[in-house]
Amino acid sequence: MTVVVFMESPDDELSRQALTLAQSLDGDVQAVTVDGPYAPAAWAKAIVEAAGDADVVGPGSDRGNEVLAHVAAQLDLPFAANVTEVRGDELTRIRWGGTLLEEARLHAPRRLLTAAPFAFPPLSVESTQSRVLTPELDGAVAVVDHVAPDTGGKVSLADAKVVVSGGRGVGSAEGFAILEELAALLDAAVGCSRVVTSAGWRPHTDQVGQTGTKVSPDLYIACGISGATQHIAGCKGAKKLLAINADREATIFAHADYAVVGDLHEIVPAITAELRKARSS
Amino acid sequence: MAGRRALFLVRLVRAGRPLDRTDDLPRRVTNEATIVLGQRKLLQRLVPGLMHAAIFWGFIVLFPTIVMAAIGAVDRGATLPWLGAQGWYMAMVDAFVLAVLAGIVVAVWIRKVVRPRRFEGSHLGEADLILALIALVVLTLLGWHASRIAAGLNEWPAHASFLSNWVSTVIPAPRVLDRVFVWAHLCVILTFLCYLPYSKHLHIATAAVNVFFSRTRRRGRLEPLRFDVPESEMRFGAGTVRDLTWKEMVDAFSCTECGRCQDVCPAYATGKVLSPKLVIMGVRDQLFAEGPDLLAGEALKPIAGNGVPEEMIWDCVTCGACVHECPVSIEHIDHIVDLRRDLVMMQSSFPSEAESMLRDVERVGNPWGKPQGDRESWAEGLGVRVVQEGEPAPEILYWVGCAAAYDERARVAAESTVKLLQRAGVDFAILGARESCTGDPARRMGNEYVFQAYAEQNVATLNESGVTKIVASCPHCLNSLGNEYPDFGGRYEVMHHTQLLAELVRDGKLEPAKSETEITYHDSCYLARHNDVAVEPRELVAAVGKPVEMAKHGKRTFCCGAGGAHMWMEERGQPINEERVRQAAETGAETLAVACPFCTVMLDDGVRSSGRQLRVVDVSTLLVESLED
Repeated sequence: MTVVVFMESPDDELSRQALTLAQSLDGDVQAVTVDGPYAPAAWAKAIVEAAGDADVVGPGSDRGNEVLAHVAAQLDLPFAANVTEVRGDELTRIRWGGTLLEEARLHAPRRLLTAAPFAFPPLSVESTQSRVLTPELDGAVAVVDHVAPDTGGKVSLADAKVVVSGGRGVGSAEGFAILEELAALLDAAVGCSRVVTSAGWRPHTDQVGQTGTKVSPDLYIACGISGATQHIAGCKGAKKLLAINADREATIFAHADYAVVGDLHEIVPAITAELRKARSS
Repeated sequence: MAGRRALFLVRLVRAGRPLDRTDDLPRRVTNEATIVLGQRKLLQRLVPGLMHAAIFWGFIVLFPTIVMAAIGAVDRGATLPWLGAQGWYMAMVDAFVLAVLAGIVVAVWIRKVVRPRRFEGSHLGEADLILALIALVVLTLLGWHASRIAAGLNEWPAHASFLSNWVSTVIPAPRVLDRVFVWAHLCVILTFLCYLPYSKHLHIATAAVNVFFSRTRRRGRLEPLRFDVPESEMRFGAGTVRDLTWKEMVDAFSCTECGRCQDVCPAYATGKVLSPKLVIMGVRDQLFAEGPDLLAGEALKPIAGNGVPEEMIWDCVTCGACVHECPVSIEHIDHIVDLRRDLVMMQSSFPSEAESMLRDVERVGNPWGKPQGDRESWAEGLGVRVVQEGEPAPEILYWVGCAAAYDERARVAAESTVKLLQRAGVDFAILGARESCTGDPARRMGNEYVFQAYAEQNVATLNESGVTKIVASCPHCLNSLGNEYPDFGGRYEVMHHTQLLAELVRDGKLEPAKSETEITYHDSCYLARHNDVAVEPRELVAAVGKPVEMAKHGKRTFCCGAGGAHMWMEERGQPINEERVRQAAETGAETLAVACPFCTVMLDDGVRSSGRQLRVVDVSTLLVESLED
C-alpha cells in the first residue's frame, strides 16, 4: 500500500507535518509537489491520477484542505480534514473551530486526510521519495496574480504585531494623534472601534471588530474602548490585551491581560514618553 | 382586451413556483371578511381608510346598477327584475353615490394638498386618471338615473332616489338624455375595464385573492427551501422572475403603490435606499416586462440589480412593519429573503462584513466565533442544572441563545431570568454546550443551508432529551424554535421569558414592589409583531413602575436596527437605533425597558452614541430589582 502526500512545497512546515502523519499510516510514503499556477481542481486531478488507489494525505492549510476536497469530490469518497491521530479507519479530528475533538470512522476503501496544523512534528522531505506533478490546466480555474491592498507604506492592521486601538473615549478625530505617536514608536498599526468610524473620526478600513478587520497581534492596546462583544470578536486573536479605560466597570477589563484604570489622554502620552526615555538611554 | 390580459396574468401565476397555502380555511375566510370586506388594515389609518372604504363599499352596492345599465342600454324600458323596482335599493344607490363622491374629494385632497411622503416613488398620474374614471362612473350613473326620472322612465318610486330626484329637477329633459348618459356610463366602465389590468388598479381583482392566500399563523416563519427534491424542482430563492412563487406574483399584481409600507419602514425612515413599496413595484415591473419570455422559456435577467437594486435587498431588517401595514396582505419579507437566498447561495454576493458571521455560525455555532465550550460559563455559580445526554428533561427548558451566553450586556437578562425562576421554584434547566445557534441570522441573510443544518441538529438534541416546553429570552430564537422548527420535526410549546414571568406574577409566585419610575417599553419586532407577545411584558412593566407608551408600539413598533442579520452588518446613513432612542426619549421616561438581547445592545449603543440619559434594561432585570428592594 502506498500513501501519497501532497506537499505545498518541499520545505513548507505544514506539509512536512503531513509527512509525519503519512508515515504513521504504514505504507510507502511518496511525496508529490505540483508545478505551475495554483488551480485546485486541476491539481487534484493530477494527484488522483498519480495516486492510483493509494491513500492521499495533505497539509491542514487552506490549500491542502481545498485540494483534498477536490480529490474527494472527484473520487466521490469521504475526506477527513484536520486529523490529529489515525488508527486504521478510525481517527480523531479537530472540529468546531478548534473547540472539539471528534472521534470518527471513515467508511471507504482508502483514506483521504489532512493533518491538523501543529499536531505532528515536521519531517524533512529527503526521508522519502518525491516527485513533481505538472497538471493539465485546460478548462481549470487557475490563480494568475495576487494583488495586496495598498496600506500606504504603513503596517497593515491584519499583519501588525502591535495594534493601538481607540474607542469613544478618545473623544475626537484629533484625539488619535497621541495613539498615532505611540503606534509609530512601536511599529504598530492604529485601529478603532465601530463608534469611531460611525462618528467619522477614522475610516472604516481602520475598524477592528465583527464587521471590520479581525486582528491577531502579539499585543493589542485598547484605549477608551468599552469592550462590546462586536469589538471583542475582532481582537480576541490577540496574544496579550492591554486595556486603558477610565471606567472601572468597563467590560474590556474582563478580557484584558493588563489593565490601566485612568484617562487615556494622560496615560498614552506617559507610555510614549517612557518608551522614548528607555530607548534613548 | 381585458380578457386577453387576464389570461396572460393567470398563465403567469400558473407558471409560478409551488407553495401550499390551502390550510386553515376558517382563518382565511375570516381574513377575507375582516381585511377585504371590513377594510380592517386600511382603517389602521382613519381618514384614508374611510376614504377607501366609502369607495369600496360604494362599488359593492353599485355593482347591480352596471347590469341594469347594460339591460337599459339595449332595452330602454327594461331593468333587473325585482331589484330595479325597489325604492330602498335606489335610496342606497344614491347614498353610496354620495359616499363615493365624498371619498373621491377626500382622495384628491390627500393627494393634492396633504401629499404624504408615502407616495414618493408611486405613479401619481395613474392614480389621478383612476380617480377621474371612478368619478365619471358614478356621475354618469347619477345622470342616467336623474334623466330617467325626468323622462318618467323610473320603475322605482322617484322620491326614494333623493339625490337623482333632485338632480332631475335641475337638468333639462330632452328625451335622448337618458340614452346619452347610459351609453356614456357603459363606455366609461368598459374603458376602465380595459385599463384596469394594465394599471395599479388591478388590485380590485387580485387583492381579495392575495388576502385569502396570505399567512394565517406562524407569521414569523419563512418558507423552507426543499433540498430533498429532484434538482429540476429545486429552488434557491429568486434569481429571476421564473423563480418567484405564485404568491409572490399575486403580491406583485396586488400592489396599489399606496406607500403605507414605505411610511413605516425603519430603513426608509433613516434614509436608506430601501422602500418595501419599490421592491414590490420593481418585481412587478420586471415580471410584466419579462412575462412573455418567462412563458416562452427564454433567458431572463436577474431581479437583483435590475428590477430591485442590490443595496435595497440588504437594507431590510425583516422587522415586518410593511407586512403588518399592507392593506392587501403583500408579504414583502418573502421577496427580500428569496432575493437574498439567490445572492448568497448562488451568486455569493453579499455585504462582505457579514461573511465572518456566516462563517462563524457555520463553523462554531454562534455568530461571534466564541468557543462552544464557553457557552455555559455565564451561569457559573448560579446553580443552574445543565441537562446532560441521557438525563431526564426538566419541566421547562431554558433556551439561552448565543447573545445571552456570550455578550456581557445581554447576559444580565439571562442571569435575572434564572434568579426569578429559581425564586418561584420552577423546574428548569439549560442545554449548556449542547445548545447552538438556531440558525436564524444565517437564514435571514439568505443562507438556508446553514439554517437547515442547525435546525436539524437542534431538533435532534431537543427531541432526544424529551423536551416539550421551552422558554426563550431571545425573540429571534423563540421565532425559530416555535414557528420554524415544526418544519423540521420539532414541535414544542415555546414561550418568551416575559410570558412565563407574567404568569408567575399573576399566580402570586413573584410579588414585585411597584416604584414611581417612569418606564417606556420597546417592543421587539420578533416578539410583538411576528409572535403576538405584547401584553405580558407590559403587565410586568406595570407591576414594577409607571408605564409610558411611545407613539410606535405593540404590533406597530419600530425596529432597533438589528433584525435580519443587521446585528452583524454595517449601517449607512442615520442609524436606526439612534432614531428609536430619540422616540423613547420623547416620552420623558428615565428607563427604556426591552425584552430582546439584540434590542438591549442596539438601544444601549444608541443611548451612548446620542449622549442621552436613559437606562436600557431588560424587563426581567427590572423585576429582580423590584423584588430585592
